[in-house]
Amino acid sequence: MTPITWRDEYSIGLPDVDHEHRVLIAMINELAETLGPKTPRERIVGALGEICSRIAAHFALEEREMRSLGYVGLAEHKRDHERLLEDILDIMADVESPADYDPAVLEQRLSAWFTEHFRTQDAKLHHWLAARR
Amino acid sequence: MTSPRQWLRAAFGALDGFCSRVFTPAWNPMLQLGALGWYFFWIVAVSGIYLYAFFDTGITRAYDSVESLTNAQPWAGGVMRSVHRYASDGLVAVAVVHLVREFALDRMRGKRWYAWITGLPVLALIYVSGITGYWLVWDTLAQYVAQTTAELFDALPIFGEPISRNFVNEAALSDRFFTLMSFLHIAAPLLLLLFMWVHIQRHAAARIQPARGLGLLVLGSLLVLSVAVPAVSQPRANLDAVPAVVDLDWFYLPAYPLVQALGGAATWQVLGGALLLMGLLPWFPRSRPPPVARVSLPDCNGCGRCVTDCPFGALTLEARSDGQSYAVEAVVDPDRCLSCGLCVGACPTATPFRSSLSFTAGIELPQVSLAGLRDELKSACAALGGDDRLVVFACAHAGDLAEDLKRNAVVARMPCVGMLPPSFIDFALARRLGDGVVLAGCPGNACRERLGQRWTEERIAGLRDPWLRARVPRERVALSWRDDLDAFRRGLTQQPAFPAPAKTPTGTGSPPARPRWPAPARVAGMAVVLGMISAATALLAAELPWRQLEAGQGVVRLSIRHATEPKVPCKPLTPEEMAALKPNMRRPVDCPRERWPVTVELERDGRLLYRGTHEPSGLWSDGVATVHRAFAVPAGPQSITVRMRDGGRADGFDHVRSGTIDLQPGQNLVIEFEGGTGFSWR
Repeated sequence: MTPITWRDEYSIGLPDVDHEHRVLIAMINELAETLGPKTPRERIVGALGEICSRIAAHFALEEREMRSLGYVGLAEHKRDHERLLEDILDIMADVESPADYDPAVLEQRLSAWFTEHFRTQDAKLHHWLAARR
Repeated sequence: MTSPRQWLRAAFGALDGFCSRVFTPAWNPMLQLGALGWYFFWIVAVSGIYLYAFFDTGITRAYDSVESLTNAQPWAGGVMRSVHRYASDGLVAVAVVHLVREFALDRMRGKRWYAWITGLPVLALIYVSGITGYWLVWDTLAQYVAQTTAELFDALPIFGEPISRNFVNEAALSDRFFTLMSFLHIAAPLLLLLFMWVHIQRHAAARIQPARGLGLLVLGSLLVLSVAVPAVSQPRANLDAVPAVVDLDWFYLPAYPLVQALGGAATWQVLGGALLLMGLLPWFPRSRPPPVARVSLPDCNGCGRCVTDCPFGALTLEARSDGQSYAVEAVVDPDRCLSCGLCVGACPTATPFRSSLSFTAGIELPQVSLAGLRDELKSACAALGGDDRLVVFACAHAGDLAEDLKRNAVVARMPCVGMLPPSFIDFALARRLGDGVVLAGCPGNACRERLGQRWTEERIAGLRDPWLRARVPRERVALSWRDDLDAFRRGLTQQPAFPAPAKTPTGTGSPPARPRWPAPARVAGMAVVLGMISAATALLAAELPWRQLEAGQGVVRLSIRHATEPKVPCKPLTPEEMAALKPNMRRPVDCPRERWPVTVELERDGRLLYRGTHEPSGLWSDGVATVHRAFAVPAGPQSITVRMRDGGRADGFDHVRSGTIDLQPGQNLVIEFEGGTGFSWR
């Protein structure tokens, strides 16, 4: 199991948002560490449900901050948020259906699900914020 | 037992539903009466600015300028004038219907008092604006309005002498009076605008513009009406005559016949009593408000969606109080929160996919727990079977649901359908709790909490956060106020089997709202409804005359203003008397200020019409005594005797005049008194 590690480049420069990024990484890591062939399915779904709720709130907060800062990439960034919210529900649906469940795939998907957005949209926001200062 | 309010509510429900079918919900005028009021206000303001450019102040010039405006430029000034009149009639109409509707839907009780109370001055100022406008034309209607208004105000003990005396003849009237009236006619609407702004202060996302399509329809109807039935003046005002019949504008002047029937004082009592009653309505009978929304700080990161969506401005973001690393948190103002729950529907953490036993969202209503709702759905839905199982989320005001909606269905009630987080719809379908989800809101899209249905539609369409996920098959979701539920239910069984599990499809979007009537029928329906409203407006605006004076009658008017002698004549003070006074009060002559009252009698053909004693005005009774009384009498030759006592004698009269007059029908015979020459009439 390779948990996501916090990297400084994940920090985008908004204290609220950075704080939540850390919280979310911790939640995903916690889930990843417990993942195994014998982990009860309900537990995984439960943890995913909490992550889903937390990340939806996180996106909402981030969108409010982007809006109030007049961030130019808001529409694109928000679209990606909505896609991610669709994805996590798909991931949850797969965990629930016996045929599609594979702990290794799940962990990989979760990790990709989270870091890909960091690498692209959040990085753009970070640069935009840095250029503004 | 049905109360009038329930009856009214049912009537508005039917009307709202009818208008939604004719105009489509987006253009339904019943759902945007306030916005239409604003719209009419701006139309009146713009047309009024045009008219003002051509208006002259002056007794003859006012009428002349309005006539020339109407006749010399019928396609510009004439149309502008008509639009000005009909749009201001429209303003009264929408304001009154708005008021009755808010009352019927009980949207003014308790914490909702603010908009109701601030609406009362709005209504009053609409009337002041309109009435001063009719005055400016100075035709016989203006004369009627002026004289009756003066009579109404003379009943108030605030004027030293009757203002009615300004309208007994043209010599008493000044050109500058029209300057004053046009000033009032501009000041009152400006004040009205201020109060309209105050009126909407507690409403988030208050609607002040009607739907564009509806706005164009209304403007078009106003123009058609203005060309078909142009607003025109009545004959020029003539203070020597009484306009026996006037074409009242019943939108603005329904109280005027009341002044004649009841007299000024009783009219004030009726109007004041009605206003007082309306002012007390929000608190009587008292209501017991449900518990207000509660923020759960561990679940709140201050994203502000609840603040954005609260229809009543009850939520604010304040500095964080719990030490978490967030800047702000949501705070509920209990005096404004109506426990509608729209904030819960907006909260991103309010999702049933959280499977912990007792989760809480960032904001919830204490009386409807989301975890409880989730568990209730899960257990109740297990009892359903077949392929048309329904999960119905119904608002508390949706009324009794149709029997067919309750068959093979689980019904969950909540204060407002806008309280439902969209994720619950996703949950119900993704977890196969039902085959279809119905959201049942207030009938006719008339959300009692203002924005619940609108927010719900926008969340489903992905126009407002939180979005209903794209993977949710939209053909399995129905809105009671928009969709045909029978067809929806039948459609469920005909749809291909639920793909399992539900996955996000590529390409998203919700199907457009299904209008209930086909397009040609709707266009015809709109034309008929707008035509009927226009015809009714034209009828009420000037085509239902009011007879204020019976045929064959004239008016004899006593109009006396007389300063009588002091009761006690001046007396020189003796040196002793002067010495007894305080130094600053010493004077050679003592003149007590109080004057004699006047006692007046008016006799017609030997029969007494009037007898009355009038005290001098002023706190010291040292002003003039005034008598202003009008009597409608049959026209024709008749003898008139008028007598007045203005001194200290116990009986008999100091001034008498008798004579025979030939009163013409409609004539306004004014009896006046001059100190030097005695009584005169003409």
